[in-house]
Amino acid sequence: MAKFKLASYWASACGGCDVAILDVHEKILDIAAAADIVFWPIALDFKYQDVEAMPDGHIDVTLFHGAVRNSENEHLAHLLRAKSKALVAFGSCAHIGGIPGLANLFTKEEIFKRVYQETPSTVNPENITPQPKVTVAEGDLTIPELYNTVHTLNQVVDVDYYVPGCPPTPKQIWNVVQVIVSGKLPPKGSVIGASEKTQCDECTLKKNGEKKITAFKRIATAQPDPAICFLEQGFLCMGPATRGGCDTRCQLSGVPCRGCYGAPAGVLDQGAKALSAIASIIDAKEEAEVQRIVDQIPDSLRSFNRFGIPASLITRKVL
Amino acid sequence: MTFEPKILGILCNWCSYTGADLAGTSRIKYSPNVRVVRVMCSGRVDPQFILKAFAEGADGVLVAGCHPGDCHYIEGNYKTIRRMALLKHMLADYGIEPERFRLEWVSAGEGDRWAHVVNKITEDVRKLGPSKIKKTAKKASPAA
Amino acid sequence: MKRISIDPITRLEGHGKIDIFLADDGSVANCYFQVPELRGFEKFIEGMPIEEVPRVVSRICGV
Ligand code: FES
Repeated sequence: MAKFKLASYWASACGGCDVAILDVHEKILDIAAAADIVFWPIALDFKYQDVEAMPDGHIDVTLFHGAVRNSENEHLAHLLRAKSKALVAFGSCAHIGGIPGLANLFTKEEIFKRVYQETPSTVNPENITPQPKVTVAEGDLTIPELYNTVHTLNQVVDVDYYVPGCPPTPKQIWNVVQVIVSGKLPPKGSVIGASEKTQCDECTLKKNGEKKITAFKRIATAQPDPAICFLEQGFLCMGPATRGGCDTRCQLSGVPCRGCYGAPAGVLDQGAKALSAIASIIDAKEEAEVQRIVDQIPDSLRSFNRFGIPASLITRKVL
Repeated sequence: MTFEPKILGILCNWCSYTGADLAGTSRIKYSPNVRVVRVMCSGRVDPQFILKAFAEGADGVLVAGCHPGDCHYIEGNYKTIRRMALLKHMLADYGIEPERFRLEWVSAGEGDRWAHVVNKITEDVRKLGPSKIKKTAKKASPAA
Repeated sequence: MKRISIDPITRLEGHGKIDIFLADDGSVANCYFQVPELRGFEKFIEGMPIEEVPRVVSRICGV
């Protein structure tokens, strides 16, 4: 059988998705046996010009990690879209914005000010900040332009498949590879390497019955019982509004779900859905008492929508 | 030209919608800025509806239901109280002014109260000006 | 002046670019290392509950 051509690229990402691919361990040899890797900056030495030289549609599958944060990310998104038969938004950042998407609660100016002036470890009396173009004695130097708003991959180019997770689990990555190798690809737009259920549907922690919250607790100040549903104990858990498929790794490690697999099927806005589910189990009727309880949540938007602000109904803080 | 706010009203069928109807049949004059959607109970109002309204260009959103204790499904509007209290925090984190979103109780007999509630949110939103939430155009260049 | 651009630098975590300028005799006249990316963790963790920070900053580098 002819080998299929595989590319893996990171845009605004941490590299964890690439490492997750390597975490399939010795199965990586099976991937290498089935696929010709034609572009993979973290592992192999290919340059952008090598990709530019490829004919359109040359790559069979590109796994694109990372959000679209600057002009280089955007350029590579368009380039890899043109060169790939199937473009996969791989991992939370490409899928729903991910942790880099939290920058949508601030402006580029606020971020520059903090990073290049205010941080205690910064000494920058001339207030030098990165510029897209700098002229030096030898010629012009260029770097990409940072955008004000972080975008998901599908807000910039057409995406064929989505693989959620921060990062996707090696088990699910292996499932995805098998789907690709089998050639039996699901309909365009499908979420692959995840389940159709919510985290709560798949969570094995003990549930005692009706949930009633009279106080929200925080892991910094209270110790949860790791065997019992976190929500029942009053700890914020994104399980009710998060897609399953990760084998509830966080919950089984003693920490509540933070929502990296994104919204389950049919949900438009993960944050609003999580908020709705958690609000409805607050055990209070008086408006003042309800207010007292909800005020115990210190950071509502980032708590309910940690990974998906760029993919939400409202994609950034209002300017 | 003065700015005319576009406000979405989501009203429960049994009290608030009937109250709004009463305002009409009683020929009470009030601002025409609220477009009404009827739901069976304010407990049906998913916070997604409100975010979607803002995302689609509403300048304000008004949710109205039966007074606490009067919900025709007994517990529905208690859920509304909890959800909307939490949603207000989230809207604030998004930088949306609190005056743009209100939760009000209007009974079937309170046509005058409905008119007052509508006038109040319309004036508050008019003072704030148009919503600054921008729609994210699909497949647009992020540079814009 | 001849320029050699290495874009991107590969087999490491993160994005980087190197521009090397060569003098007429072929020796290296100057060399610039550029980091073309920024995400802004320094800013966007501000105000976050302390217990949430470890699970966010672990995404600075996943390698
Ligand atoms: S029926 Fe009116 S609020 Fe439930």
